Amino acid sequence: MPGQRMKGWMISLPSMAWLTVFFLLPTLMIFIIAFKPANPLGGLGEGWTLRTWLELGNPNYPSIIWRTLRLSFYCTAACILLGIPFSYYIARAPERRQRALLLLVIIPFWTNFLIRVFAWKAVLHPEGALKHMLVAVGIASPDTMLLYNEWAVLLVMVYTYLPFAIMPLYAAIEKFDFALLDAALDLGAGRATAMRRVFLPGIRRGIQTAVLMVLIPALGSYVIPDILGGPSSEMLGNKIAQRAFADRNLPHSAALSALLCLCVMLPMLMGTLLRRKRTGGAA
Amino acid sequence: MKRSRLPGLTVLILLVFFYLPIVILVINSFNLHKYGGEWSGFTLKWYVRLFQDDAVWHALRNSLIIAGVSTAASTVLGTLAAYALHRSNDRFQKIHHGLIYMPLVLPDILMGMSLLLFFVAVGFQLGLTSICIAHITFCISYVAMVVLARLQDFDFSMMEAAYDLGANSWTATTRVLLPALAPGITAGALLAFTLSIDDFVITFFVAGPGSSTLPVHIYSMMKHSRFMPVINALSTLLLLVTFVAVGSSQLINKQKGADLP
Amino acid sequence: MSGFLEFEGISKSFGDLKALDNVSLSIRQGEIFSLLGPSGCGKTTLLRICAGFEMPDAGRVLLNGKDITDLPPNRRAVNTIFQNYALFPNMTLRENIAFGLQIAKVPKKEIADRVETMLQLVQLEHHAHKRPHQISGGQKQRVAIARALVNRPQVLLLDEPLAALDLKLRQRMLVELDGIHDEVGTTFVYVTHDQSEAMGLSDRIAVFNHGVVEQVGSSTEIYEAPRTSFTAAFIGDTNFFNGRVCERIDSEYCQIEIEGLEPRLRFFNDKNLREQVRVDLSVRPEKFSISRTQPAPDPLSNTLRGTVEDVIYLGSHTKWWVRVNEEYLISVTSQHSRFLLDSKPIRWNEAVWISWHADDGYMLERYDENDEALLVLSDAGLPDDIPPDEEAE
Repeated sequence: MPGQRMKGWMISLPSMAWLTVFFLLPTLMIFIIAFKPANPLGGLGEGWTLRTWLELGNPNYPSIIWRTLRLSFYCTAACILLGIPFSYYIARAPERRQRALLLLVIIPFWTNFLIRVFAWKAVLHPEGALKHMLVAVGIASPDTMLLYNEWAVLLVMVYTYLPFAIMPLYAAIEKFDFALLDAALDLGAGRATAMRRVFLPGIRRGIQTAVLMVLIPALGSYVIPDILGGPSSEMLGNKIAQRAFADRNLPHSAALSALLCLCVMLPMLMGTLLRRKRTGGAA
Repeated sequence: MKRSRLPGLTVLILLVFFYLPIVILVINSFNLHKYGGEWSGFTLKWYVRLFQDDAVWHALRNSLIIAGVSTAASTVLGTLAAYALHRSNDRFQKIHHGLIYMPLVLPDILMGMSLLLFFVAVGFQLGLTSICIAHITFCISYVAMVVLARLQDFDFSMMEAAYDLGANSWTATTRVLLPALAPGITAGALLAFTLSIDDFVITFFVAGPGSSTLPVHIYSMMKHSRFMPVINALSTLLLLVTFVAVGSSQLINKQKGADLP
Repeated sequence: MSGFLEFEGISKSFGDLKALDNVSLSIRQGEIFSLLGPSGCGKTTLLRICAGFEMPDAGRVLLNGKDITDLPPNRRAVNTIFQNYALFPNMTLRENIAFGLQIAKVPKKEIADRVETMLQLVQLEHHAHKRPHQISGGQKQRVAIARALVNRPQVLLLDEPLAALDLKLRQRMLVELDGIHDEVGTTFVYVTHDQSEAMGLSDRIAVFNHGVVEQVGSSTEIYEAPRTSFTAAFIGDTNFFNGRVCERIDSEYCQIEIEGLEPRLRFFNDKNLREQVRVDLSVRPEKFSISRTQPAPDPLSNTLRGTVEDVIYLGSHTKWWVRVNEEYLISVTSQHSRFLLDSKPIRWNEAVWISWHADDGYMLERYDENDEALLVLSDAGLPDDIPPDEEAE
């Protein structure tokens, strides 16, 4: 056949080459450069060293890593807990309303990420609207700080990543056969039992995807803590940028990146293993 | 059966949550008050100040150049990649698929950092070119995924039909395959353009002096609170552009839908 | 024998799967030739080899005496109707039909004329400006036919062209296809798994099974004189028996003894079998007549006594399963031409007589002489799940 004469590898070559040079190689470099010494000009020195890794023992880091993991975990949990009822409502709505609601979810998503984060800065600003309102109602005192703390960071992380969770959850729920719920009720299950034992297992794959879609970018958060957080709510991403730009110590930020990379790989690997075990058990 | 109110309530609260900050931002862009805490009168002065800021326009120009170049390149590379991935499923293409897929899941900051290290290590001058390279790299994956989805709906017996009717590979590709894939390729290109215009984190890592894109410029403005109302004005304008784009694409889709039986 | 389209010793494997095993066929100019068989029997592979989409591992394809085995599909004078039509969605029907002519660089005026003629032939003049997604399945089918025929191919290949249509439409399209064939006279090679399509349309049929041709012949030949039990079972319904020739009555008939059946049965001995040879036999359900009373004795007729075990009323006919001598469950069908006159239809559990004429039973080409297994045809195609000495149903 004429089509087969255009060998597959010839068509793959451009993208393969590009991604190997500009993606695979740089990613591997993260791990290599972490073993290089820095030079005072902000570049890389000669030879190899383990010093960078030893410096990660600095008592600062464990707390930052712990905070990164904690905030990402909270954010993921919140996105799933909010995303399931939200997607459930959309999936069960009439088709026209489904499309309208999905569009409403996506539109803020289409506005620039920085602007969305910035908008929250205005909302949470000490002189901003929300603060005035809370003080007027009496929930907050005039010296309550809404900005520059972990809660502000977490709130906006949820705001930013929630659509990432809603999309796969919606896709899974939309495909779910709701007659199964009726069948469960018919067989005598209560509503809660039916939800727990039929609905949630039925959308398991959607939940898994949603977890990865939120957890991974959340681990790599940089802009949100940078703009809305204070020194006490820094995450791994901030340290990477600080070492790279403020201190010009590239090996150091490479080591931190390698650490983040491992943090990200772990849930992905777990997801794959989980899936493999499931399918292996079914076969 | 009585339905639970919980989902409906969640939807209502979340929609307020989604739009509240955006609405406040738009209102504040017309607010005389500098921090927007209270309404102190209508003004357009932030917009005037925005239009006088040459740096903003320079950054916008950079953004458009970069988005144009990286959209063109990534659309070609991504479409080829999708075709190769779809046509074969051997070990080679599995590696290829992995290479395409990984940039989608890796956090931006890792990609930005790794490219910065790469450029520094090989001694590449940071600037518009380095930004373009970075953008092409992450856009390829998105284009490939979108085109791949379209390819999965494409019936390859159509290609056989073209050969059967006397077409050679070139004619069959240009007259049957590409027109059928056109909506997917266009969607991929639009996505690439949007992602490129929008990207901050990766650009921030590989930008050099004088090559600030709009998001990078906005970021530097954010660091100084005296620019806050100007950013509000700029954001409102960008929102307007987004809404017009989304609205018109919806309209076009609706008209296309009306053509169908 | 030299046909218009010849397949000579075609073999083709996909991995471990042998799709075609040394297949030779000769197709005459202008005939409708069907490749009939269950899915996975190799019929579609042979069609794709003919179109040029697959290369055979061995063998040659000759079209009009010319070897076209190595010719790419775009340089063969054959056109294909694809199972799902494969109409180009981005072109109107007119553009779809004109595609092949444009590529052949036929002058514009001629293209317009020929496309118009084709549109008339398939009665789509008024839809020519539409796109494929705007028309029905039957109309798509016609566009696909027009798009292929407009190129005036020497052979038209049809790959299960009616599979995507519903039953009513399928029957109508079958008539239309036949009409179109009468009009253009092109050689049609028609792939189908549906025996009624093949029998209704074809001049000749090749029955495929597991990559080999079981039998080539006209519809009547294949139905009335199946060579193998596969053909007998695949084309229509049948009852199988396995017996031993116990006596040759004359040059035409013989008595056959079937274990567990009394009396001995009389069959037409067209295979000229010697006595003591074991043989598989087939009797089609509609060859039986069924009655409550014993039919008048007739030396050329076989009669068995049994009990109705099941009855299905099917509108145009009724189907009975009659248990004979415990071991045999024989399916019998009867048309309802006199149904209203029958005061009392035969019901479940009634004792009945079934009888058939000796000419209506048929010997299959699988028998052994002198207790040695001797198979005239390869028995690779025999379905394992139908033991030849039991009923087919």
